[in-house]
Amino acid sequence: MGLKNLLIEFGLTDLEKRRIDEAQPELNSAGFDDFGLDPQTLKAALAATRWIYTDYFRVKAHGLENLPAGRVLLISNHGGQIPIDGLLIGMSLLLEAKPARVVRGMIERWVPGVPFVSSFFARVGQTVGDVRNCKELLEKEQAVLVFPEGVRGSGKTIFKKYQLQRFGTGFIRLALETRTPIVPVAVVGCEEAYPSLLNFKPLAKLLGAPYVPVTPLFPFLGPIGALPLPTQVSISFGEAIYAEGDSDAPESDIEKQAELIKSKIQSMLDERVQERGRQWFRSRD
Amino acid sequence: MNSNTAERRLNVLVTGAAGGLAGTVVSRLAERYHLIGVDPRPLSRGKDFPGEFHVVDYTHRRMSEVFRSRKIDILLHLGRVPVSARVRSSERYQTNVLGTKNLLDLCRKYRVKRAVVLSTFHVYGAHPHNPGHLVEDDPLRASQNFPELRDAVEMDHLARMFLLQNSDTQVAILRPSNIVGPTIQNTISQLLRAEVCPTLLGYDPLLQFIHEADLSHAIELCIENKMVGVYNVSGEGVISYRKAIEFAGARSIPVPHFLVYGAMGALSRFRLSLPKHLVDFYRYSAVISDELFRKESGYRPRLSTQEALRSLRSIRAVVEPQHSSA
Repeated sequence: MGLKNLLIEFGLTDLEKRRIDEAQPELNSAGFDDFGLDPQTLKAALAATRWIYTDYFRVKAHGLENLPAGRVLLISNHGGQIPIDGLLIGMSLLLEAKPARVVRGMIERWVPGVPFVSSFFARVGQTVGDVRNCKELLEKEQAVLVFPEGVRGSGKTIFKKYQLQRFGTGFIRLALETRTPIVPVAVVGCEEAYPSLLNFKPLAKLLGAPYVPVTPLFPFLGPIGALPLPTQVSISFGEAIYAEGDSDAPESDIEKQAELIKSKIQSMLDERVQERGRQWFRSRD
Repeated sequence: MNSNTAERRLNVLVTGAAGGLAGTVVSRLAERYHLIGVDPRPLSRGKDFPGEFHVVDYTHRRMSEVFRSRKIDILLHLGRVPVSARVRSSERYQTNVLGTKNLLDLCRKYRVKRAVVLSTFHVYGAHPHNPGHLVEDDPLRASQNFPELRDAVEMDHLARMFLLQNSDTQVAILRPSNIVGPTIQNTISQLLRAEVCPTLLGYDPLLQFIHEADLSHAIELCIENKMVGVYNVSGEGVISYRKAIEFAGARSIPVPHFLVYGAMGALSRFRLSLPKHLVDFYRYSAVISDELFRKESGYRPRLSTQEALRSLRSIRAVVEPQHSSA
């Protein structure tokens, strides 16, 4: 308890504390929301890790004004082996969006079985990527982050960077069913942070992991090689898009709409990547 | 309710009548109903039942005699035996499954008007894949992962079959979250009354609590609003296990989960059947939604989670000196 309060006291400005308090969903008298989010843990975690956002990855967020109030589905590209992109999107909404929003990430099903990670993720508002959870959160006017590529995106090698992999279509049906605006998100920078040269499949199979990356530094340099490279990251939020039609429409119709979102994100990615050129490690400017 | 008193008072048969929860329930009902309490256990010393009380096994033929000799209008089946180190699984099966079967058969035979069966949220099982909020239609995973809970699942199943197949009796099945309160002696209440509570290192699942007074109120609503169906019922909201320990006034001590499973496995060889399944409930969340019950019955918990958890300790401090002085 003491550490948490110290972190919050010294790591966040009063304005930030107030903005985050205002961003909270309904809490019960024990201080939790229905899914186990605990704002104190969230604030402490943000205070302890904001340097990752501001100094390590020198994140630049564009288009945060495109976020509509109330329920919203954030649909983003996914890359870089570990979900740093998710973390940075979440931090940008807490630190820079007006008003601040708590991002509810949809995490992989195996995560709740992992010690420490499972309880921490729940306290900072992350839930298992179950359709029911997602729907319930949207009905409670939350901002839900979905990576429709899933592990196909995060596990891909550096040679396929910024090429969107096959998109799941569930998010379109959800958006239709709950009448939720979709905000396309393009994250540039994370995919070079872990330049995976190949996926070591036999080991992945052995560990039951979706993939095991081999980078120029990992695993050969040991734990140091496991650190992500300090690339400069930009996050772009596009204008909100409303899916149209029946949530029960045949899969081919839904796929078309998913394809539309995918191409939107791809063009946002292309634009940013081109603008950046080869300056992977440039300063925030 | 005054019209009831003018007519014949309805006969309510209460199982598990020697237990703590039944005591709280019957104290709310004693004024309006004629109560008949049954329990395989005798009443503990100094305890009084506001009505008739019979020590009887639910499968015994004397159980039929209770139905035959009186017109039972309402059955409150609160007599499920929870998993504990003291009760063998064969004994639990006898009471929970065969006992429930016999009671429901008797309800059918003697055309009992209403029945409330107290199941438990444990039937859903604790599992990392559980959705954020379990609803009544969800599969009962406990039967897959927890052999210790098979009798609870089967009892719930028997009650549901009865609900579907019998139109003469209005059946409500309640699946409450962790029941706590000054008179409750279940595993979680005893755990939280200790000075130090073990937690599983790295895990801090969400729990829900319902105070015995709120659950009694919910049971009363089932009778009075003639509820039919399966309903989750809980107290105010979710709380992490560690925070619950804090609210209950204890200290938590983290233990690696493999040590706990190992210790339990070792102890079970000495025929000490410890509630091993409970370990998973301290590792993964099994959070229920009681929205349906709230909507249909108008139920609202009156106590906050903090008040419910505090009642465990404050009353204990009051009760214990009384025991020692008596």
